[in-house]
Order: sequence, then structure tokens, then C-alpha cells
Amino acid sequence: MRAKAEIPKGGFNFDNYRRNVFLEKQGLGLPKAIKTGTTIIGIHFKDGIILGADTRSTNDTIVANKNCKKIHYLAPNMYCAGAGTAADTEQSNALISSQLELHRLATGRQSRVITAVAMLKQMLFRYQGHVSAALIIGGYDISGPSLYNVHPHGSSDKLPFVAMGSGSLAAMAILESRWTKDLERDDAIELAKDAIEAGIFNDLGSGSNVDINIIEKDKVEILKNYAKPNERAVKEQSYKYKRGATAYLKEYVREFIVTEGDAMDIS
Amino acid sequence: MSLRAVPSANPPSTKSVADTANSYGVHDTFRYGLRSIETEISPAHPLENRLKQWEETQTNLKLTMQRRIYGIHAPIRHLMERSIVSRMQRLPGLPSSNFGMEILMGKDETIEFEDFLNELSTEIVDVHTAMEQKLGIK
Repeated sequence: MRAKAEIPKGGFNFDNYRRNVFLEKQGLGLPKAIKTGTTIIGIHFKDGIILGADTRSTNDTIVANKNCKKIHYLAPNMYCAGAGTAADTEQSNALISSQLELHRLATGRQSRVITAVAMLKQMLFRYQGHVSAALIIGGYDISGPSLYNVHPHGSSDKLPFVAMGSGSLAAMAILESRWTKDLERDDAIELAKDAIEAGIFNDLGSGSNVDINIIEKDKVEILKNYAKPNERAVKEQSYKYKRGATAYLKEYVREFIVTEGDAMDIS
Repeated sequence: MSLRAVPSANPPSTKSVADTANSYGVHDTFRYGLRSIETEISPAHPLENRLKQWEETQTNLKLTMQRRIYGIHAPIRHLMERSIVSRMQRLPGLPSSNFGMEILMGKDETIEFEDFLNELSTEIVDVHTAMEQKLGIK
């Protein structure tokens, strides 16, 4: 073994990079990571923010999870919806959530959305876009409701309504035509649902159900599977076999339940 | 005194057999195992050097700015505090937690990927090589 002089640090390990490059040249590529070909949206309404997401996660052309959770907890007053590689969005979200908790313990104040955005931007820029996480962060803090989107290379925008993921164009079309300032709560929920459904039906990478998160001052309402436009139909006939459909040649009956004797002593 | 904000992708380095040479002048396979200089100079992952040098580059930037704004005493005091705090350590090769250093670097209030990913590395550190490096013996 190669003698090492210092203790190796944790974090990402790049030892296999040259080996992988060599293998790719030979024609053996790396396995593909699970992506969330996704539709995620965030909209401002009168009293807060609504985050919406579909629930399909894909592994190339196979659906890996028909009902996955794409809106993750960041802080009691903020949530984050993630598109891109599933592991990257979940882990970076968990990391920033932990950092925010430590920050809250150090400052003794409620976290601000801009803090989470700054932390994520700095981390994603450091990784040059290799951490493929496109996120929508929405929350209600001391300065009011705010909505940001963060791209994998570390840029962010502060907007009244955002859509990310492969179904973002379909969702953005709905949002552009129907969003207005100071929407009422129910109208905003309908708009969010329609935008996600546009992504579900028009994009192959998005599907299954609609998840909605409503973030208001001091209150968060999580509506998992708010709409289920893709329920599996009930089978029209019964496909159970009747008793006696299969013939048998011999029959053994053994009694495994012992009725006499002491119970097993386990002490 | 550079204001470099971000480390370069590839470390400026030359690799030579002299680093691991034994008394005959060739690579010491017994001590260091097999070595291929060709693979060492082929391009590494674009992130590898960037992540390795990140902390150091940011600290250097901060110290350079401090020197330009406040004068030479500011970075000197900063580095003095760091050296005071890292004087008491275990022998090289053994893990020692430097809590004072963590406070000075601000790491007691943050968490990074290094803290929970790839933590229990089972690589064995050669104490003799580490000691030689520390004492400057070859």
C-alpha cells in the first residue's frame, strides 16, 4: 500500500477519476444517476408563497419512484423544491438545512430566505455545476414572503413566480398567462395545480401526482398528493385463480402447532 | 499578494522521481508502492484541485485584503493566533481535534460535506514517513 503521510480528509474522493476516464475510452460508461426530470414551481400570492411539484423520479427512461417527495424542509419557515439529480438536491438541501439550524442556534433568530440562498449559491459555485441541483426556495421571514430560484452553477434570481425542471416550459406557459399580483389563496392553489398538471401531461419527465406547499406567516400547510390526475384504473376482471384450478398428485399434511408440552423457556 | 478568488483547475506542479527516490536514485517501490508519473501528470478531475485549495485560497484572499486595508499587523496577528492554537497536537499520523483552530476558522458553527461524507476512511497512515516529513529527515 502506498504510504500516506497525512490523515486523509473526508468529503469527495477523486481517486477513481483517471480510472473512469480510461474505462470510458474503452466503452464502459458510468451508470446514470437518478434524475428528477421534473416540474417544480413557486408563486407569490397575497399572504405568502406556494410551492408546487410533481412526484415522478426517473432513471433514464424508467420511472424510479411514482410518488416521490420533491419539496424538502429547509427551516420552519422555508421549503425548497429541487430538480436535477435526486441525490444532489436532497443532500445539498439537507446540508443547508443543518447549516441554517446551526446559524439559528448561533444568532437566536428566525432564518431568512436570503441566508439559505446565499449558502446554496456559494456551495454550488464551489462545485462548478457538478452538483446538479436546480432549486426553488420559498419562505416567509421577517422581511416578508420571498421566492428565489438557484441554478446548478450558482446563479440565483428573485422572482414573483418561477418554474424549473424539464416541465418548466409547460408550467411557465400557464403561470405567464394567469399569474397576477395579490392572488387570493384558493386561486393561487388552483393556478399552482394547473401549472404542475401542464408539466405532468406535456412533459415525459414529469408525472403522477401534484404536491403543494403553502407557506404563510408563521404557518406552513403541506398538501402531499393534492391532486391525483393519474390514478391507476381498477382492473375490470378478476385475475385470481379458482381453488382446484391446478391438479395435484400427492398431499402431505404436517402439524406444526404443538398443543402439549411446556412453552419455550427463553430466560 | 494576489487577489485570487478561486483556485485554478490544475495545480501548477512538476512531478519528479526525486520525491520518492531511494539511495540508488530510483523510485523506492518498497516504501511507496508502485508509481506512474504519466498518470500523475495526466489531467485530474476539474474539481479536485479546486476543492483541495478552496479553504487556503479564501484565507489568503482575506489576509491580502486585510493587509491592504489595515496594514501588515492585521494578517500577522491572525496568523499568530493560528500558530498559537496549533502548537499542541498529537504526533503526526494520529488524529487530533484542534478545537481552538476550529473556532478561529469559524468551523465550530458550520457543517460541510467533509464532516459527514467519507468520514471513516480506513487508510493507514505510515507513522515513520509522517514523522520523517515533520522532522525534515529524508
